[in-house]
Amino acid sequence: MEHDENISKLLRLKRYEQPPPEYFENFLAEFQLRQRADVIHRSFWKIAWDRLTPHFTMPPIPRLVTAGSFALAFIALVLNWSFPKNSTSSQQPNLASVSTIVPSTDSPAKASSSVQYVLPARPVTYASARSF
Amino acid sequence: MDEASETPEAELVARTQSGDARAFDELVLRLSPRLYGLVYHMTSSHEDTNDLLQEIFAKAYRSIKSFQGKSAFYTWMHSIAVNMTLNFLKRRNRHPTMSLDDVDNGILDDPDFIAATSNSDPSSEANLTELQKKLNESMMKLSHEHRAVVTMFDIQGMPHAEIAKILKISEGTVRSRLFYAHRQLQNHLKEFIKQ
Repeated sequence: MEHDENISKLLRLKRYEQPPPEYFENFLAEFQLRQRADVIHRSFWKIAWDRLTPHFTMPPIPRLVTAGSFALAFIALVLNWSFPKNSTSSQQPNLASVSTIVPSTDSPAKASSSVQYVLPARPVTYASARSF
Repeated sequence: MDEASETPEAELVARTQSGDARAFDELVLRLSPRLYGLVYHMTSSHEDTNDLLQEIFAKAYRSIKSFQGKSAFYTWMHSIAVNMTLNFLKRRNRHPTMSLDDVDNGILDDPDFIAATSNSDPSSEANLTELQKKLNESMMKLSHEHRAVVTMFDIQGMPHAEIAKILKISEGTVRSRLFYAHRQLQNHLKEFIKQ
């Protein structure tokens, strides 16, 4: 299966087909321009992708640690959304207000000083104007 | 410029990998004539070659960090160029248009050109145009894969082993593709071949 030398000689003549001598200098200038334009017009996602991809080539153990950390952070975020802290603290004032409304039997003096509209044994609203 | 031309290719690659864009510019200047030839002889179009070559260098620059030096940088660049050109040719298949570069006048003194045209018209310019047209038409009749092998072996003078590495095929396959391509070319170029 040796190649035909006559054909090879003929094909070698194609080497004489060449662009003008200044072409390669201009080619580099055009390449630099295109590279700059590419950097300027590169989308946010492309930049983000380029910055993220090196992390995918890390060795397996750090990759697992990174993935685990991301998963934990995500779970913490979801839990924080589902059970916000101020849901328990917002119930506290209600309890406090209830406790102030219910008259305390242990220390009537203290209760009477803090609650102005409750009589020791009978609420004001139950009192009839004609009963003496 | 002289200093840069003395810098070994491996050093330029290492500098590019650490973020020195000027080192890559030097690699572009060094490799573009040879890669231009590779793409041009596969596409037979100056415009397509220019666009493709820009894309080839842009891709090489983006992925240069993945080059680990297992092969020569030159081989790695050729692999990118051949693969991108083959993909381009598959897309362009329907309407290939030729836009040929001028032929350097040095060809008129080439003994192979004189031998090839000695039997026909004595006017060298006419022979030149005719030969260029015929050679390019014949090349375009080959399959993309056969054309790639012919370009690298016959036109660029690369050894079988190097072509096999670039195309990731066996040397036997390279030889076989060359054999079939030459047989096909022989039919198209009969008039220029001296028996």
